[in-house]
Formats: sequence, C-alpha cells, structure tokens
Amino acid sequence: MKTKILVANRGEIAIRLIRAIQELKYEAVAVYESPDKDSRHIRIADEAIWLGKGPRCDYLDISKIIKAAKKSGAVAIHPGYGFLAENPDFAKACEDEGIIFIGPSSEVISNLGNKVIARKIMAEAGIPMVPGTGNLAAGEEGITTALAFAAEFKYPIMLKATCGGGGRGIRLIESDEQMRAEIPAARAEAKAAFNDDRVYLEKVVIEPKHVEVQIMADSDGKTVHLGTRDCSIQRRNQKLIEIAPSMIGDKVLLDTICDTAVKAAKAANYFNAGTVEFLIDKDFNYYFMEINTRVQVEHTVTEMITGIDIVRTQIKLAMGKKLSFCQEDIQMRGHAIEMRINAEDPKADFMPEGGKTVTVYRSPGGYGVRLDGFVYQGYTIPQVYDSLLVKMTVHGYTWNETVDRLRRCLQNFVISGPKTTIPFYLNIAKDPDFIGGDFDTSYLDKHPELFDYEDNANEASKLSNLIAEIHHRGYNPYAA
Amino acid sequence: MERIVQGTSPAEVVAKLQQADGYYITNTARDLSQSDYKNRILLHTDLLAAEARERAGYFSLEITGGASVHVDILRKQVNPFLKLEILREHMPNTMFQTLCRGVNLFGYRPYPQNIIRFTVKEFAKYVDVWRTFDFMNYVPNMQAVFEEVAKAGKINEPCICFSTGPEHTNEYYLKKVREILDVTGEDIVLCIKNHGGLGTPKRIGQLVDTIRQKHPDLPIHYHGHNTDGNDTGRIVEAVLNGANIVDAADHSFTGFYGPPPILTVIQTLKDLGHTAVGIDEDAVIESSDVIRDERQYYADFESQIKGFQPTVQIHKLPGGAMGSSLEQAVKGGFLDKMPDILHKELPRVQKELGNYWSVTPGSQILWTTAVSNVLGGERYGNPSGDLRNLLLGKYGPFPFYEPETWIYEKVLGENWKTVLEEEGGVEDIGDMDIDKEKATLTERIGEEPTNQQLTLYLQHPNDAVEFFKFEARFGKVHVLPPSIFFRKGGFEPGETLIFTDYTGKEHIVEVGPSSVSEDGETSVYLNLDHHQRVYTFEADVPEGAMAKAVTMTKEEITVLAKAGDMRAPFSGNICEISVEEGQQVVKGDKLAVMEAMKMQTPISCEMDGIVTSVFAKVGDSLRPGDKIIRIDIDE
Repeated sequence: MKTKILVANRGEIAIRLIRAIQELKYEAVAVYESPDKDSRHIRIADEAIWLGKGPRCDYLDISKIIKAAKKSGAVAIHPGYGFLAENPDFAKACEDEGIIFIGPSSEVISNLGNKVIARKIMAEAGIPMVPGTGNLAAGEEGITTALAFAAEFKYPIMLKATCGGGGRGIRLIESDEQMRAEIPAARAEAKAAFNDDRVYLEKVVIEPKHVEVQIMADSDGKTVHLGTRDCSIQRRNQKLIEIAPSMIGDKVLLDTICDTAVKAAKAANYFNAGTVEFLIDKDFNYYFMEINTRVQVEHTVTEMITGIDIVRTQIKLAMGKKLSFCQEDIQMRGHAIEMRINAEDPKADFMPEGGKTVTVYRSPGGYGVRLDGFVYQGYTIPQVYDSLLVKMTVHGYTWNETVDRLRRCLQNFVISGPKTTIPFYLNIAKDPDFIGGDFDTSYLDKHPELFDYEDNANEASKLSNLIAEIHHRGYNPYAA
Repeated sequence: MERIVQGTSPAEVVAKLQQADGYYITNTARDLSQSDYKNRILLHTDLLAAEARERAGYFSLEITGGASVHVDILRKQVNPFLKLEILREHMPNTMFQTLCRGVNLFGYRPYPQNIIRFTVKEFAKYVDVWRTFDFMNYVPNMQAVFEEVAKAGKINEPCICFSTGPEHTNEYYLKKVREILDVTGEDIVLCIKNHGGLGTPKRIGQLVDTIRQKHPDLPIHYHGHNTDGNDTGRIVEAVLNGANIVDAADHSFTGFYGPPPILTVIQTLKDLGHTAVGIDEDAVIESSDVIRDERQYYADFESQIKGFQPTVQIHKLPGGAMGSSLEQAVKGGFLDKMPDILHKELPRVQKELGNYWSVTPGSQILWTTAVSNVLGGERYGNPSGDLRNLLLGKYGPFPFYEPETWIYEKVLGENWKTVLEEEGGVEDIGDMDIDKEKATLTERIGEEPTNQQLTLYLQHPNDAVEFFKFEARFGKVHVLPPSIFFRKGGFEPGETLIFTDYTGKEHIVEVGPSSVSEDGETSVYLNLDHHQRVYTFEADVPEGAMAKAVTMTKEEITVLAKAGDMRAPFSGNICEISVEEGQQVVKGDKLAVMEAMKMQTPISCEMDGIVTSVFAKVGDSLRPGDKIIRIDIDE
C-alpha cells in the first residue's frame, strides 16, 4: 500500500497540498464537512473522508481528524493554514498517536503561539522588538502597569490578546480612559475567542511596512531563509496582496532582516517551514512581530522567485529528509506578486458574496502566471467558509514586467456570479504609488479612489449590457 | 462660386448671401427625422452621412432643436451636446442649425428668462444658425434668444410663421418683418416658416416678392414641408422671387411630411437657370446612398398612413405633428374619426381660436381641442390647461381677433371676465435659482454636473437625470446602429453584432443562448470580444397583475372582515403574521400586524373560527382590499 498523507484543510490550500503529496508519489487523503461536498479538493484527492455536517466545527475537531487519519492509514497530516494549523494540541495529539505532523513540534507551536513567551525567547536572543509589556496582571495592578507603559512610550498603543493571531484580538488604544475601559473588554473577548483571557501591550509603529521572512529548518537545526515578502497591503490586518522580495531598496537592511529571522528561528529551536514577521518603520528600524508556525497563504510568491517548492520541502523534512540545499544555493530571481481573489464586494466594505454560483470562470494564462484556486464554473460558494476563490501569482524578471503582467492577467480574468476583488485589484495595478513600490500598511486608507472602479468599467461591457437588455426584452425599453 | 463655411461672422454671411448669384440649400435632417421618423434618426446614421454631407456644401445642416433635444435624451439616449461635438469633428466646415421655439426653447411651455439665456449660451457654442419662432408671431417672446445669439456671434434667423386665410395678408407679414428688424438689426436671415407646407406655389412666390421689394437686401430663407407633395413647387416660386436659401432633405429618407428631396429642387431650379451655390451634386447623391440601407430599421417610426396629404391645406397640421397625430389615433382607436377631426373640426377650431399659426405648441392645442370636441361630445367641454392659458393670453396676444365670448365662458367658467382680468396677460415668469438647481442635480447624480448637464436638467429635470443614469450604466450608446438599437424580437442565437465604441475600438458581440431558471430568472449569454458574459434578469411581474388588484372601500373591507375574510384595511406592509393555518381563533385575537408610515396596526379577528388560509407573508406590500387571512366557522 502506498504511503498516505492526510490533508486537514479545505479550499485552495488543500489542493495545493494534495498536488505536492501526489508529486512525491504519496496518496492524499482529503477530509470534508457537508457544505464542502462539491469542493474540488475532494475530487482531486485519492480518497476523501466525510467528517461531519459542519460547518467549521469538524475541520476543528482534533479527534475526528485523528480518527480519519487512522481509518485511512495515513502516516502524516498536513494542517495547511488556519483551522488547526497552529493549534499545539493538534500537533501534540499527532505526536501522541504516532502520526507525523507536518510542521514544527507542539512545544515550538505552543511557545511561539504564546506572544509573551515568544517575545521572551526573542529578547534573550537579542532580536529587536517593538517595546511591549509581559502579560498584564489581573485587575487594577495590570491597569497600573499599562498606564505606566503608556506614560513611557506614549499613545497609540496596541492591546493584544496573548493567544490571538491572524489579525484577531487586537485593539488600538489612544487614551488612559480608553485603556481602563478596554482591558476588561479585551480580556472578555479573548476568553471567548481563544479560551485564554491574557492580554499584553505593544507600542504602535505608525504606518509601518509589513515584511516577513520565509525560513526552513531541518531536524539537524540547519536553518535557511528564502528571502523577504512584503505584505503591507492589508485591510484591517488581513493581507490582500503579497510581494516578493520586499521593495525596500536597502539590500543590506534586507540581508540583516533575513539573518535576524534565521537567528530568531534558531532561538526558538524551529523545525520545518515558518515565517518570521517584522514591522519596519519610517526610519527603517525593524521590529520582530511574531513567528507563524505554518505554511503561509502567500508562500507562492517565495516559490516563484526562489524556485523552491515550499510544501514539497515541508513534507520531505517531516518525513525525515534533511535540507538538500544550503543558504548559498538559494538564488532570488525577479519579482512575484500574489493577489487574493476573493468573492467579496470591495465597495460594500468587502462584504462576502457567499451563496452565489460562479456562472463564468475564465482564467488568465501564459508566461509567468500561476493560479492556486479551487472554484469552477457552476460552483456555488459556501456561505460558511472564507471568501478566497483563487490566488493569482505573477512572476516577472523586473518589477515593471511583473506589474504589466499583473494588469494583463487581471484584465483577462473573468469571474461572473459573485462580485470579486478583481476590479479593485485592477485599480491597484494601475495606481502610480503601487507601480512605484510606494506602499505601507496605510495604503488602502490613503487611496480611497481605488474603490472607484465601476466608472472605469470598459465601454464595451456597458454597451453589451444594453444589448443583453434589448435581446431579453425583445425591444429596447430605453428607445420605445 | 463658393460656399459659406462655419466660423464666418453674421455680417459676412449676410454679405455673401446678398452677393451670391444663385441660392443656397439647408439640409433639414432634423426636421425630416421629426416629421417622418418621430425624431428617431440616430446619430449613428447621421455620422454615416457626415462625410458626404460635409462635401455636399450646404448653407447649413439643421441637426438639433425642435423636439429633438428632448427625444435625444429620452428615446435615443444621446447627449445633444455630445452629438454636436462629434458631428463637428466629422463636419468642420458645415454650419449647424437649430430650431428654437423662443420662450419655449426646445419644449412646450415658457421658460424663465435666465434659463433661456443660459441654454442659448451653452448651445451657441456648437450651433451657428439659430432659427427662432413663436407660434403667435409675438416678437417679444423671441427677444431673449435673439440677444444671446447675437452676443455669441452667431447668426440669428428669426421666423415669420406662415399660414393661410383672409387675415394672412402680405401687409400683415411685412409688419411682422418690420417688428423683427426693429429688434434684431439688419444682420439677420429672415425665415419664412411654412411648417404645414401651406399655400400654393403662387402664394409663396407673392409673399417672397413682397418682402423682397420692401427689403431688397434682407436674406430670405424659405422653409416648407412636403405634406401635400408640392413643396418643390413652393420652393421654386420662392427662389424665382428672390429667396436666398431653401430647405430640403436627403432623398433616400424623404417621406411625406418632412422636407422634399434636395436633388429634385436642384434639378428643377437648374432648368430654370438657378444655381445651387457651393453644392456638389455627386456628394448630395452619395449622402443618400450611404444611408439608404439604414431606412429599413426605422420602419416602426414611419407614419401609419402612407401617402401625401393635400388636405393639409384644410387641417393645417404641421409636418412634425402629422405622424404623432396619426399614431395617437391608432393607439386611441379613433382612426375612423380622423376625417371628421382633420377636415371638419380642426378647421372650425382653428377659426374659432383666432386663426393663429398651427405650430408647436399652438398646433398641439388645436389638435387636442379638436379631438376632445369630437370624442367628448360637448365642444370645449373638457378644455386642456394649455387651451386655458391660450385664452388667458399667456402665450401672447391673439394676432387677428379674439375667440367669441362663449368659448371663454366654456373654458374659463361663468365669471370668465374676472378670471381674464385677474390672471390674463403674458406672464412675467420669475428667474429660477440656477445655483440651487445645480445643487439639487449634484445631489441627484452624486457628482457636480457640467454646464451641459445642467442645461439639459433645467429643461427636462427628470428625463435628464434618467438619461445621466442611463449613460453611467450603458455608456455612450450612439455607437450602436439602428439595427441593434431598435431591434425587435431579440437577436438570433449565433448572430454577430459589430460596433465601434466612442473611443474608436471595435467590438464583437456574439449572441449566445438564454436560459430560464426555476424562479423565472433569465440568464442571457453573450460573447463580448470572445469572452463570455452572462446577464441575469429577474422574472417579470406578469402584465396586468397590478391592474387586477381590487381597491375596496373601507365599508366593504369591514363587512368582509366580519365574515372572516380579512383584508388589508389600508396600504402598508405586513410585519407580522400571528396565526397559522388550522389554528383556532376567537373574536379579538391578533391575526397579523401591518405597518404604514412607520405606525404598526394589529389586524384583529372579527369572528370565532379556524384559520383556513393565510394569503400574505411578512414583508408583503399590500393595497387596501388585498387578502391577508381567511377564517371559517369550525364545524
């Protein structure tokens, strides 16, 4: 019997993982909840196991997934991103059951998932960090500590849940009064969301760039980095567009950041693939933010510029292989941009368009474009999951070439049925600041005109609206 | 001999007309469109002809004004300014001409003075020749237009509207010419506006001759209609007696009520030794040839009744009104009454109302009064507001005599004298606050309007806003040919439609299948430039569904409720249905709650029984008498 690996995820990342598994001549076992019964990841996998009616509970049910792995005879589990990917209990359960968890050990996940412990490890290793507190003590004592911190570092200050992540559990505090009010509220929210009410403070870096470093480590502790990614274009801390490498012109600085990332990973005793996130302020000071202990959505841009298949490498490392390359072997070539094409209406505050059927799906192709998606013509988008339809990654030798390709591909991408972020992205692809590489986390706030895209909708498509109307009515209702 | 080109000053134009050895021709494309095609000739067709018309060497191309400004935005979905701008690109040398109804501008009722000036100023940027008339030949009604046109350095062409009858003497018209010249000065072109195509060639010849004798240097432009088939005859007599410019149209589109064919005029006059100045005959023929194939797509807009109407000499309806009158008669089902209306009642009304000129808006007043007199039984029994205004003198004084007192009494009531005293006379319409209107428009379209948009809005507020919304949604649709724009019955599956957008880019649309879903939603598939697009249309409300709904009186609703038939007592929305089918209820139970004007009203049970049907659901919008719930006695 072939060696099987279970994919504990759905959507585009499940397909991405299945492809790597099958390329390595393993068999892929998919799992699914009922709303995903028409999902393509089930069809592509070698076998699929129904977990339950869902939604969003069976994908999070450790015991059901362990059971599925055992039932199918899978020797390893790839968690993807989201769901159980950074849940140390899941990694621990795999370890206890003798199943290979494709990722770092439960201890590393646990340490790095706890922001305060992570900060402590990094501080000891001498990694530069945004000034912050440890976990705030309960009650008045914690508030006193918080106010003293605020007095020293000045507002605005971030109040963060110790076990938060992915943009959740973060509050911006701008006054003592607000601090007093928000700490108990944040605790209650963190308790509800993460079952852990601990919170801490961090100085806010104003309008920073978000730069992260992909790292890979084998079980011997050999650790390399695959360069930087810029993920500054975000909406409410959710990344929309990712670029590799960072557009910062100072190569020495970027090298320093990459070396720091490797140092941080080593300090954490890191294994497998991970991402070290940094904030870079206006004066090009960089601060460690966190280490993500999973494969990132945006790993594709790094793959494009390095030629290294990150998921394949993850699996090989987990299956006991060593890194077959060293830092000097890794060459960065050109630029890559990934856009998350979501079924959302940017004009309606990115309202998800779930429940709609994709009536037309016509994707771009040709040189330098890569698509990681899972939808097809006729597919009805479940309302209960995230709205990511497809990641479009373009690669080019120069930045200009890459942006030209991006624009061309967005123009060629036709998805009908749900509204998508495509026209909004097309405006970004045409925006002089974006083309000039000038963007940080405040980019969307500073470019409200990006939402002005219907007016630029091309004339022919407007005219064909009328032709459709004349055809449907059997006469022109505007000329009668 | 040379043609007159766009950009020539009014004084120079007048001088050239005076010196010319021959006559000039205006291509009256707008009037042709209005008279024979209900104003629907599209810019697309005019653009096909543009290059040849430019070469043809006309004095002017009459291409805007009259009702066309309104129809442009209402039915052709083209911005009247953009139309002129695009045509100018294709026709740099040809002067553009408009027809302006004086105080009524391009509409049907008087506008405030500041609106008139604002509008003329905007259009004068594109329009070189301003033909202005008043249906009562009341010169003060045209004065503001004259002044603005002169200020803009464009050519004023004031009209004397022409008609027939004992009062319509040469002396009368000479007096009118004098009144006009007193206001405008000498650098004008005088138009004899024969909108009905009335009178014989001899009569027109005499009139032109009379004016020519009195004003040897005044350029005269004869405008007529071919309703009786004899306008070429009148044109010939006009030119023989000294008219400098005449109106005619491209022969491949000439119909019955518009101007006669240009080429016929040229050929006839050539044989009489009169040359059409600046005209390239080959280009005249070519203009007709390039648009000939398009005529078939306008068939729906051509007159219901084919053939010339020499009886126009009796009923005097102008060319532009013929088509629409016949259309009304067909739609209203009184086509059989038309001989009565046209040949008996109209001439009678005409005389009774002072024998003024049957042209917009006066022709509409005569027509609707005649129709209402014939169909309504009692003559003047149901007078329109416009007839009332006419009698009150709002449009200006009656030119020859006032109607008899019994008509005043019928229209204005028993104490008509007091009404006439208190309300009579030309109204001094107060200026409109243009800035305020601009603010309103800004709010309605969500952006600051251009002056052109504002101009359109000031004349036709709602239609202009609808048009701006249309344009935002469908783009610049003048690029679509009539074969697409006026298509009936949908396109054939697999049919290929080709058009060029206004930026000059060519596009191909291939028509795909349409499918209807379970809930009646239709999906139309089109391949636009080889990319599939799908357009969904919600199910249509079945025709008459709204009309069928009964409106009941309060008493009826109360009586029915006592019998268990619960109906909506007022217009409103259902915000709660409190019972289910099969449920036992007693008098006084709450059955449902309705909401209107944000007030909620419970619908209470009027008898003991069992709920047998629930017709309405939460969110339904009901009208008085619509069913909500049925209660029957439990047996």
